[in-house]
Amino acid sequence: MKIVVIGGSGLIGTKVVAHLRQAGHQVIAASPATGINTITGDGLAEAMSDTDVVVDLANSPSWEDQAVMDFFQTSGRNLLAAEINAGVKHHVALSIVGVDIMQNIGYMRAKKAQEDLIRQSGVPYTIIRSTQFLEFLKGIADQATDGNEVHLSDVRFQPIAADDVAAFVAKYAVAAPLNGKVEIAGPERFAMYEVVAQYLRHANDPRKVVPNGKPLYYGGEISHAALVPVGQAELGTINFEKWWSNQLQKA
Amino acid sequence: MKRVKDIDPGLSVRSLAAFEQERRILSDLGNDITGVRDKNDLIILFSKRIKSLFYFTHTIVTLIDAKDETYTPFLLDHESSPIRSHAQYPELIKAHFSLNEPFIRAALRAEEPISFLLEDIMDQPQSPSFLRANYEAGVKEILMTRLMKEGKPMGFIHIYSDKPNSFSIEFRNVIKGIAPQLSGAVSNIIKNEEILKKEQEKSLLLDFSNDIATGRTKEELAFAVRAVLKKINPPGGFVIRRINEDNTTMSPYAYDLTKTHDPKVINALEQARYPINDGLQDRVLNSAIPLLFNVDREIQRGITSSYLQHWKTMGFKEIVGIRLRNGETNHGILFLDIQEINVQLLQGICSQISIALANIMANEQIHKKQEEQAFLLDFSSDIAQVRTKADLQAAIFRVLDKTMHTQLSMIRTIDEDGYNMSPFMYDETLFERAKKHFAELLAHRVTVDEIYTADVLTSEDGLVFNIEEELKSGNSYARLWETTGLKNVYGLPLRVGNKNIGTIWLLADRLSKLMLKGICAQISIAIANIQANEKLLAYKKQLEVENDYLKEQIKTIYNFSEIIGNGQQMQKVYRLMSLVAGSNTTVLILGETGTGKELIARAIHNASLRKDKLMVKVNCAALPANLIESELFGHERGSFTGAIDRRIGKFELANNSTLFLDEVGELPPEAQAKLLRVIQERELERLGGKQTIKVDVRLIAATNRNLEEEVKAGRFRADLYFRLNVFPISLPSLRERPEDIEPLTHFFVKKYGRNTGRKIRKVAPKVIQQLLSYTWPGNVRELEHLIERSILLTPDDILRDVYIPENTATDKQDLTHLLNHSLEEVERSYIIEILRRCSGKISGPGSAAEILKIPGNTLHSKLKKLGITKKDYFG
Ligand SMILES: NC(=O)c1ccc[n+]([C@@H]2O[C@H](COP(=O)([O-])OP(=O)(O)OC[C@H]3O[C@@H](n4cnc5c(N)ncnc54)[C@H](OP(=O)(O)O)[C@@H]3O)[C@@H](O)[C@H]2O)c1
Repeated sequence: MKIVVIGGSGLIGTKVVAHLRQAGHQVIAASPATGINTITGDGLAEAMSDTDVVVDLANSPSWEDQAVMDFFQTSGRNLLAAEINAGVKHHVALSIVGVDIMQNIGYMRAKKAQEDLIRQSGVPYTIIRSTQFLEFLKGIADQATDGNEVHLSDVRFQPIAADDVAAFVAKYAVAAPLNGKVEIAGPERFAMYEVVAQYLRHANDPRKVVPNGKPLYYGGEISHAALVPVGQAELGTINFEKWWSNQLQKA
Repeated sequence: MKRVKDIDPGLSVRSLAAFEQERRILSDLGNDITGVRDKNDLIILFSKRIKSLFYFTHTIVTLIDAKDETYTPFLLDHESSPIRSHAQYPELIKAHFSLNEPFIRAALRAEEPISFLLEDIMDQPQSPSFLRANYEAGVKEILMTRLMKEGKPMGFIHIYSDKPNSFSIEFRNVIKGIAPQLSGAVSNIIKNEEILKKEQEKSLLLDFSNDIATGRTKEELAFAVRAVLKKINPPGGFVIRRINEDNTTMSPYAYDLTKTHDPKVINALEQARYPINDGLQDRVLNSAIPLLFNVDREIQRGITSSYLQHWKTMGFKEIVGIRLRNGETNHGILFLDIQEINVQLLQGICSQISIALANIMANEQIHKKQEEQAFLLDFSSDIAQVRTKADLQAAIFRVLDKTMHTQLSMIRTIDEDGYNMSPFMYDETLFERAKKHFAELLAHRVTVDEIYTADVLTSEDGLVFNIEEELKSGNSYARLWETTGLKNVYGLPLRVGNKNIGTIWLLADRLSKLMLKGICAQISIAIANIQANEKLLAYKKQLEVENDYLKEQIKTIYNFSEIIGNGQQMQKVYRLMSLVAGSNTTVLILGETGTGKELIARAIHNASLRKDKLMVKVNCAALPANLIESELFGHERGSFTGAIDRRIGKFELANNSTLFLDEVGELPPEAQAKLLRVIQERELERLGGKQTIKVDVRLIAATNRNLEEEVKAGRFRADLYFRLNVFPISLPSLRERPEDIEPLTHFFVKKYGRNTGRKIRKVAPKVIQQLLSYTWPGNVRELEHLIERSILLTPDDILRDVYIPENTATDKQDLTHLLNHSLEEVERSYIIEILRRCSGKISGPGSAAEILKIPGNTLHSKLKKLGITKKDYFG
């Protein structure tokens, strides 16, 4: 199959591209660097030609509310229009667990808009909703840092390793479109502050985690269960310890 | 799997000279290479220099494409390539070879240049085909060297040799040493090419923008677009489609269809109006980026717009569509037959086209506006000259046709009553298919309260009715409207200042509101002028008519003060008059001819509250029976043969005044019926007219007939009689008031003396005597005429004689006739004659006995004696 991975140079994208190539598919790793840009439309029509599946793993370069919304809407519209024109048979996108109950957060609104565009497009699709990536732990710690303290809540948290995410995405990309969503998550569930503390310990980071009650995410208040799957979810196999040792090996 | 020719460590001891040379070559080559800007120059320079040192057949540079993990030729030395004539050559130099196979992976991994014997590797299952092609051309060995950029592999130098063991350690070291410079040079060239391309695009856009900015017309636009597209895509055609005014369809606007010359296809494409939402055009209009369409796929998708079929027959496989948009407004689409989509360039071109298109459309709009304004101007000067409805109609039909390509449906004007609305002008040709229905509509009475009319009249600038919607909502006119096949009905109020004067109705698919308003304002004024003109004419006519009466009446006028006579009989009449004058009661004046009935009527009128308006008189005996109705009630134009003009009847003329019906006893039966209706209902209809007119008229009727007798004989309607006989006033005959003869005589003498310019000082007593002895069958009028005549015959200033012509003559005749009779016979016929004059009254005042100056008893016995019976004097 010819598969185009939008955001093929990103964290998840790179891994998905590798998986699919491994499986012998003709894969286009699309990103502005490779001349394919979903915002400007550059190279999009050519990339779509004879394409069977499009996997959208692009992410907004800016995190500001309006910019994220503009990115996912424009990118989604352009991409889906090009897919329709080219007769693409399956659109796979990576979204976020709990996206529809965290609409007070700008980024979640943008991801929801992306999902809605997909659902309305008429292109057969699979939406994969993932929990946060383990690779994101440092980022979470950094943004909650105040001096030498990291203030985090006990919000339920079930991070997943990028490798697991990529494996799931690759699996769903070559499967028949669900025309619906699946949820994927890591194998362990924590309180957010716990796993971050664990991470900092492993990394010999001197910062101290201070649990405080307020469940915040991206600056928005969320419910305790917002970040974890509600019902059935596919769970990755890489737990924190395994993930950590993989990290060490790569380094 | 593969045999790598490893570097022989024994050869690592090299002469200083060799190092020196290597270093020099590297630095020279490095210097030269970095200066090269052109792809070809680079490979030729590189190849030549290395060849001057080492033997090899040819070299190429391939680059890695990250997006699909392939590598593809970038720098080619065609001249020296031994495979140039190979059948696969053209294919090979464009091919993308996978990075995912052992041969190239080995090259990727190797930090040093690495050589392979083609024989060993070319037939491996995943090996790239260029290896075998080279082998077939005699090449034996290949040296692969990575080109790195920022720590990542960016491509390879391929060096081929037809001699084994060509790649010495020195050779490899030189290549390894020069590789970074070559990477730098290649990067520079790529960057340079990009910059060049951007620059070319920029100047292309600039040229295009200049070309297009000077274009004012569609043809100039098409020319400029053709020119720019030819530059970026020489073989391709294009079409610009523009959104039509209806905002629901698009039509080709400018195009260059190189692939067809079939006039039928071109014509079909030119004339077409494609629905915007046809499943394809809407996608382009909704897409911010150019969209590439596969013609077959779109047909399969089920899009039925005919252009797809035409494209297919013209041989287009793929078409790019880009929206033409200015700000937030879509103007159209550019469709291109093009292979490479350069988004920025195409968007640059399209934004220019959009601006040009918007300008041209604005221009066209202005042009159209100017044209419309010119027509409006013509129209207003046309209309200024219009005096008649026919002229106005011609002007209106013309302006509607020329400026809006539409026809008038109907103009209705509000009647003087401010309530009814009459058709003023319409164009039946619009309703060719529903003539009957239209005729019904015309006959239908419309008032200002009719709901559609009321809505239009109260609207600011009129209303648009969608015929389809009106049909659904049960509007009864909609079925008529529907027959025209048009979409909308425009109803506008016709106003002069703030005053509604009517409504105008137009049918069309679409009309310019502004134009409509302008035209309606003009039409309103023109109609108001014509109405004013008509009114003026009517007033003029009425004045003329009134004037005629006045003149007529001046001739015969007696005014109240001219009523002469103070006798007892007249006193009774005056009393009755003063009783009735102030009311609106109908008065019936009875009396013999010449007793002055009109004079009394006029005196009553003049003593009434209506005295400021002229009393209108109709002499019912003086008109032919067939005209009397029109005289009384008026008629519309064309209501009967000879009715060339509208005419106001005497009744209408007498509105708020008094109508004097003289000789009412002579009224024919039909007129009696109508008269009765008018008296009862206080409103009338003109002959041939449809509307009723309210009137407030006081009636005074007069007759010398005995109406009771007439009723009995069936010649006069009893009901009318009762209506007229509300307040009868009987005028005495002159005979019955001899005491007034002398004053009347003096009055007439004075009047006619003055009229004829003769001064009669005195009337001889003999004359008075004569007048008193006469019986005056013609009453006062006879006396007046007699005096007039006598004055003319009087030689001096004393009236000595009066000529009682006929009566005197008959008397004389009778006298001579009497001579042949016996006294008894004479006496008998004399008494009969006297009795007749006295209406059979034998004794008492005004009786025959009085005239004969004998006692009543004597007369009685004489009658008996002479055998005179009632039959004799009442015969
Ligand atoms: N982080 C999480 O916890 C989480 C959880 C669930 C789902 N997700 C979703 O997972 C997806 C991938 O995340 P990620 O962390 O892998 O993202 P990432 O590492 O930031 O990669 C983003 C990718 O998008 C590409 N990109 C940016 N702008 C583009 C454009 N205009 N056209 C085409 N490609 C463009 C980037 O290309 P360049 O490298 O050339 O810039 C890059 O390849 C995102 O949609 C994200 O919302 C994230």
